[in-house]
Amino acid sequence: MKIAAITKIFYAKLLPRKLALVLAVLPFHALAQSDTTRKLKEVVISSSRAELLKSITSAQQIKAEQFIRYSAFNVADAIRGFSGVSIKDYGGVGGLKTVSVRGLGANHTAVLLDGIQINDAENGQIDLSKFNLSNVQEIALYNGQPSAIGQPARSFASATILSIRTIKPNLTSIKPYLITAGVKAGSFGLVNPYLQWQQRLNDQWSFIINGYTENANGKYGYTINDGSKDVRQDRVAAGVKIQQIDGAVYWAGRDSSKFNFRVNYYHADRGLPGAVVLYVPPPEGQKIWNNDLFMQSGYQKSWKSGLRLSVNAKYANNYLHYFDPQFKNSAGFLDQHFRQQEFYQSASLSYIITKHWEIAYAADLVINTMSANLNAFKYPTRSTLLNVLATNFKAGKLTLQGSLLNSNIKESVTTGTTIPRRNVLSPTLMASYKISDPLTVRAFYKNIFRAPTFNELYYNFITNTKLRPEFADQFDVGFTYNKNLPGALEYISLTADVYYNKVKDKIIYTPNVYAGSALNIAKTEGVGADIGIRSERRLGNLYKGLLAVNYSYQRAMNVTDPTASTYKNQLPYTPQHLINLNVGVNRKGWGLYYNQLLSSLRFYNNNNKTTLPDDYLAAYGLADLSLVYKGSFKLLPVMISTEINNLYDKNYVVVRSYPMPGRSFRISLQITI
Amino acid sequence: MKQFKLKYLLVTLSFVSILAACSKNDPAPGPDGGSSNQTAGVYILNQGNFNQNNSTLSYYDYSAKTLTADRYLTANSTKLGDTGNDLGIYGTKMYIVVNNSNLVNITRASTAKLTKQLTISQPRYLAFYRNYAFVSSYNGTVSVIDTTSLTITKTITVGRSPEQMTVANGKLYVANSGGLDYPDLDKTLSVIDLTTLTEIKKITVTTNPITITSDRYNNVYVLSVGNYGGDATHPAVSAGLTVVNALTDEVRSQTNVNLGYNIPIMAQGDFVYYPTADNKIAMYNARTQSLERANFIVDGTVITSPYAFAFDTTTGQLFIADAKDYSSDGTLYAFSATGQKLSSIITGINPGRIALLNK
Repeated sequence: MKIAAITKIFYAKLLPRKLALVLAVLPFHALAQSDTTRKLKEVVISSSRAELLKSITSAQQIKAEQFIRYSAFNVADAIRGFSGVSIKDYGGVGGLKTVSVRGLGANHTAVLLDGIQINDAENGQIDLSKFNLSNVQEIALYNGQPSAIGQPARSFASATILSIRTIKPNLTSIKPYLITAGVKAGSFGLVNPYLQWQQRLNDQWSFIINGYTENANGKYGYTINDGSKDVRQDRVAAGVKIQQIDGAVYWAGRDSSKFNFRVNYYHADRGLPGAVVLYVPPPEGQKIWNNDLFMQSGYQKSWKSGLRLSVNAKYANNYLHYFDPQFKNSAGFLDQHFRQQEFYQSASLSYIITKHWEIAYAADLVINTMSANLNAFKYPTRSTLLNVLATNFKAGKLTLQGSLLNSNIKESVTTGTTIPRRNVLSPTLMASYKISDPLTVRAFYKNIFRAPTFNELYYNFITNTKLRPEFADQFDVGFTYNKNLPGALEYISLTADVYYNKVKDKIIYTPNVYAGSALNIAKTEGVGADIGIRSERRLGNLYKGLLAVNYSYQRAMNVTDPTASTYKNQLPYTPQHLINLNVGVNRKGWGLYYNQLLSSLRFYNNNNKTTLPDDYLAAYGLADLSLVYKGSFKLLPVMISTEINNLYDKNYVVVRSYPMPGRSFRISLQITI
Repeated sequence: MKQFKLKYLLVTLSFVSILAACSKNDPAPGPDGGSSNQTAGVYILNQGNFNQNNSTLSYYDYSAKTLTADRYLTANSTKLGDTGNDLGIYGTKMYIVVNNSNLVNITRASTAKLTKQLTISQPRYLAFYRNYAFVSSYNGTVSVIDTTSLTITKTITVGRSPEQMTVANGKLYVANSGGLDYPDLDKTLSVIDLTTLTEIKKITVTTNPITITSDRYNNVYVLSVGNYGGDATHPAVSAGLTVVNALTDEVRSQTNVNLGYNIPIMAQGDFVYYPTADNKIAMYNARTQSLERANFIVDGTVITSPYAFAFDTTTGQLFIADAKDYSSDGTLYAFSATGQKLSSIITGINPGRIALLNK
């Protein structure tokens, strides 16, 4: 209903030329046959109006149709250009990719899939290279927490939230199915076919099935420097074989209640790209196998009284097998198996007291277990109970949101001792004030923690039973300026935030056999700024130009020991300056996009020296180019694209001793039925 | 992710085998040259971090009073490699063992210029005797290098995960830690007869022996880390000091010692020095076979992470290297023989071994 209404207004304002332009930039899965008498193609509005993610805290977003602008192949690529984001990339097709936001570290970012957290209690970090984009609708990054308060308590329980939303079927009785089939191929011997089948069963039930396989040999050339000359080597034994099958059913009640159920299975067989060491042959032989299964379901119901209920449940089973055939023990190899399970249940109730005041309460229960074939493993079980009370209050131009989270974590082991029960209260306060239509200022304060991971507690010889959670305090002040303009410049959107972070009891691995190698010994403080500019401009003759620039300034400091020479040193792997520039031009079915990332130098240990080249990791620039054409073949929408990564074939390193690939390319072909 | 975990496991294991300056009382004699009474400077081998290719060789010149951050790079234009583990000056040559790059670099001691490179898989520590240089390796062997031809002439099989070695009474004692086979740690010393160059026996010591030294009274001192509290199948074994009589090859004493993470050990004159868990530097009297002093340092200086020892016979100064947070530049402190701090210089990351260059 809503879409039809907006469509009418839109048509009234538009000239026919513009309409064609709008159609051209739409993603194909959004186009559907209309059921009006005029048989006009009903369009989902993805207009050239500035779309700012509605959020009280600073937030950034990328939608499916924009992935091609950034030559993105997985979730890590898609968010690489966001402000405040540092991706730690180990290179290669199967290499680990983790995200640290505003210098806080990867453990402080929670990844949500359709609102439910994807957790790794063992590592505390999510490998974003495991998430392909074929069934992703949009990705949003929230500093602090999202603004909607009727969410599971886990949405309030991390310093940063990375929210991935999957594609939901949006079909009609006239066209009750949508099949998207595609294949990507390119460098590293990549062959990646995928299939998506959306089906509408009746006006209440629909489902979606995604199939995905990825095969690559992972081979690429790189150079290392031995002090006097560059030596060329090849990445070997770094191939991947990945399969993923994912299916979800959706039910919509006539009283606007909703239900969904999803099953996802991921299997990967990867050769790990090892650290490149001088004077020895290139690393090979380390392998990792992942078998990950999860099932999640949710039910939402709203009442006319303003009460809203949301119930969610999840079960996850993750198996990891690691093999190193070159480990120098008597056996001559290292063979480790790990299994994690998570049982999750969440219920949240929100109530709209007045038009301006909403209150919500959520409770989450999480049970994590782990087993491993490590010597004398303690088989831990962790129960986390989260209770959060949140409220949203609007008074004229001012919007306030506050939440208080109570976390209760109980740990138990089958042998020996472990950390005691922890009970923590974590407050958050957010405010935004709309000064005028385009200009809003906002600020937030959040105090939150992350619990020690299972690895930090149980992987080493001895468990540090005194290990405490790591706390992060965030203060942020910023503004957004979002203006639609008449004339050639269609809109300009500007966001700027300045922040201050403090992390205490930071967990660091330090050789300390008797107390256990993980200790709460570090403290960090950081100041930074995130600036983003977005704009679109009509260039005449149906051409449109797009621009997105993100700049991050991060001064994240090690303040552990005021007497040490490392005091106030910049943290490892945190560049002081990061700029991401994305420009593009499109016309009718064609689009050409260029992305340039510039990173200042980084340190890879606690030293901040630049005397010798080995003291630091050099600044680097990384450019990507993509060309896409959307047309039709026998009335079926098709999309063809070419992407070139590392356009100038630069030799660069994100993580010390893990050289990145040079220029590579990918071509994709997709058809929708 | 697995990469983190393995890295930390290996880092932990390689840290457990700490380097200690194993300098004896007499200046190193050798077939190639005589000894001198003057010290020209001090070399510090900085391990860097595992898999980070940032091992460096610091050099402090006594007369010029200059500090070179990486004398190996300056002399050779090529980098040392990954995790330089041991350093020894013998005659006019300096041997540098680079563990993760599988190399033994043999250089001119006075300039650090490379003469010859030998490949040994996962080499660990050095020892010298007459015209032999010995290198222990994690593959369970000790390689014998002829110091004239600079080639490996023999490989002797010893125990598991061998670490440091010391020469006493015409024999080579090798500490077999078994660390890489955790929880099946080793607890023996391999005794190698230096005339036949074969292993003649194994002596049982405390579990997980890593560092070793010998004094002028034919005693061999071994520090063991124990088995980290043990588990259901392995009763707990504490860390400790084992003293072996090199004349009889019998264990004289085994004492539990509250050791910290780093366990460098050095015999100098009548005393043996090693750090204890409370960051004190214990002074053990070799003649009376008892603890002389709980802390060698008398002026309150605290060494955060004591990583290596050395003694300059010409100045009577005792050097202690501090690795600090294991991820940034360390410090080398010079102490007077009475335990007072005199001076300090900045080293690279994880200063694991010190060698004094004679003029």
